[in-house]
Amino acid sequence: METKVASTEKQTGKSNETYLEVLGDTVVPSSILLSVVISMTFSIGGYFVGKSIFPSIAEPKMVASYSLLLGIAGSVLALILCAKLFKPSRILKEEESSVESFQEILRDMQVDAKEEYQLIVNDPVTRKEMEELGILDTFKKSGVQSDK
Amino acid sequence: MSVLMISLLFALLGAILFTLIGLVSGTDETAIMVPFTLLVILLGAPPEAVLSFFMAAVLAKHLTHAIPTALMGIPGDTTAVPLIDHASSLRRLGVPHVALRKMLSGGLLGAFIALPTAVLFGQFLGQFADFFKSASGLIFTLAAVLIAYFSKGKWVSIAMIIPFAFFIKSLDQFSFQIVEKHLSISFFLGIAIGPMFYDLLLSLSSSGRASLVRTKPKEYHLAPEIRAWKGFFPNPFRVLTGRQAAHTSVTSFISSLTFAFSPVGMTSLMGEIVGSRNKGVYKKSTSSLAAMNGVTESTYIAEAIIPLLAFGIPLSPVALGPAAPLFNAPPVFTSDPVNNLHNLLTPWDFFLYGLIGLVVAAIIAYPFAMNYARTATVFVMKNISQEAIVGMFVGLACLLAFHEAQLVGVILTLTMATVGGLINRVLGVGAGVQFMIFYGAGYMMTNLLGA
Repeated sequence: METKVASTEKQTGKSNETYLEVLGDTVVPSSILLSVVISMTFSIGGYFVGKSIFPSIAEPKMVASYSLLLGIAGSVLALILCAKLFKPSRILKEEESSVESFQEILRDMQVDAKEEYQLIVNDPVTRKEMEELGILDTFKKSGVQSDK
Repeated sequence: MSVLMISLLFALLGAILFTLIGLVSGTDETAIMVPFTLLVILLGAPPEAVLSFFMAAVLAKHLTHAIPTALMGIPGDTTAVPLIDHASSLRRLGVPHVALRKMLSGGLLGAFIALPTAVLFGQFLGQFADFFKSASGLIFTLAAVLIAYFSKGKWVSIAMIIPFAFFIKSLDQFSFQIVEKHLSISFFLGIAIGPMFYDLLLSLSSSGRASLVRTKPKEYHLAPEIRAWKGFFPNPFRVLTGRQAAHTSVTSFISSLTFAFSPVGMTSLMGEIVGSRNKGVYKKSTSSLAAMNGVTESTYIAEAIIPLLAFGIPLSPVALGPAAPLFNAPPVFTSDPVNNLHNLLTPWDFFLYGLIGLVVAAIIAYPFAMNYARTATVFVMKNISQEAIVGMFVGLACLLAFHEAQLVGVILTLTMATVGGLINRVLGVGAGVQFMIFYGAGYMMTNLLGA
C-alpha cells in the first residue's frame, strides 16, 4: 500500500512542470510573466508610437485619443500573440451524460426519486415541458424503479 | 454621424466584445468593465453612446456568463456564484442545456423589466438629489462604513477605512506635486486589478508562492450538448413556464428598487424565495435559476442607472465597481462637482439609449448563447490561455494609467493594486469598500486632520 502511494507521488512529481493558480485558472509561471511583459510593452509601445506619428497627420486635440486607440490595438495584438505563444494549461473533459446512475445522483442530493417523479407527473406544465425536451423518460424510469 | 447611429455602433461593439469576454469563466467584472468603459469614454464617445455601450456590455456579458455556469459548473463571475448549486444539480441530472436556457430567458426578461423601472424610480429619487450632492462626502463615509461591515472582512474592513483613506490621500498629494492634477483613473484601475495583481505578486514571492502552486493543470468538465429547440431565436416566454416568467418578473421588479444592496445578496435572497415556492428538484432548480439570473441582470442595470439618474454620485455597489467610470472619468466625467451622465442626459435619454444597448445585446448575445454555447466554450478553453488574458488586462490598465499621468500614473496604479489587492485578498476588504473610501478620503482627512 505504502509503495503504491509513493510511486504515484513520484510519477506526478516527475511527469510535468508545476503550475500556478492565478484568478482561478492554472498558468505556467514563466509564461505568465512573459505575457504580462509582452502585453505592457505592446500597449504602452503602441501609445508611444501614436504620440510620435499622429501630431504630423492628425488634429492636435485628437492625438491623445488616437494614440490611445493604437495602444489598445497593441494590447489586442499582444493578446493574440500570447494566445499563440502560450497554449492553455487546462484539461478539458467532455462528460458522458450518464456517468453516475440517475438514482444515485438523486439519492446523493437527498431526493426521493419516486416523490420527484410524482411531483412532475402531477404538474401538467412541468410534465409537458419535460416531455417536449425528451427528458421525462429518464425521471420516469428511476421513479418507477424505486417504486418496486 | 448622428448620435443615434454612434450609439448603435457602440452598443454593437459592447455586445460583441462582451459576448466573447463572457465566455471566459471566473473573470472579475470590475477588472474588465472598468478599463473598457474608461476607454470608450476617453476616446470621446458621446454620453449617449457610453450608456448604450455599457448597457449592451452588461447584458451581453451576463448572458454569455451563463454558459460556463451551466455547462461547467464554474461561476461565470461573482454574481453567478449563488446560481452554482442549482446549476450543478441540473448538470448532474444530465440537463445542463435546460439550465442554460432558463437562465438566458430569465436574464433577458429581467433586463427589460429593470430598465423602465430604474428610470422611473431614479426620476422619483431625483427630487432628493440636492441633499445628496451637498452631503456627498459624509454620505460616502457613512456608506464606506456600511459596505465595509457587509464585506468579507467585516470589522477589519471598518478598521481599515481611516488608514486606507490616509494612504490614498498621501498618494494623491504626492502625485499632485509631480503632475499638478488630481488623479483618479489610476486609483480606480489599481483597485480594480488589485486581486489579479495580488496573485501575480504572490507567484513571484519565494515565500508566498507555495499557496498558488498546483501540480497539474486545472480540470474542466464540459457537459454534452443536447439541442432541443428549433429556430435561431427561441422565444423566452416559451422557454419559461408561465409561473416562472411571473416569478422572474416580480423578483426582477423588486430587485430593481433595492439599488443600494449587493447584487450577489439580492440574487441569493430572491433565489431562496422562489426556490421555497416550488417543489421537486427539477422545478425548483429551473425556476430559481430563471429568477436568479433575472435578478442579477436587474440589480446590475438598476444599480448603475438609479444613482446615475437621481444623484450623479456613485451610491451603489455596482456604481462603485463596474459602473464607476460612468460617474467619474476625468477629464470627461466627474462626480465632484457632478458632471456626468446625470446632467448630460435626460431621463428619456436614459431610457432610449439604455434600451438601444439592451436590444442590441439581446439580438447578439442571446441567440449566440442559445445556439453556440458548447462550440464557443471549447474554442475558448482550447485556444485562449489564461496567461494571455491576465496579460492583456494588466497591459490595458497600465496603458490607461499612462494615458492619465505617464509614468506617475503607472506607478500609482501598481502601488494601489499591490496594497488594494493585499487587503482585498488577505483581509477581505472588498473592491467596493475601497472605491467608497477613495471617494470619501478627501472628506475624512479634511474633517479628521484638517488637511
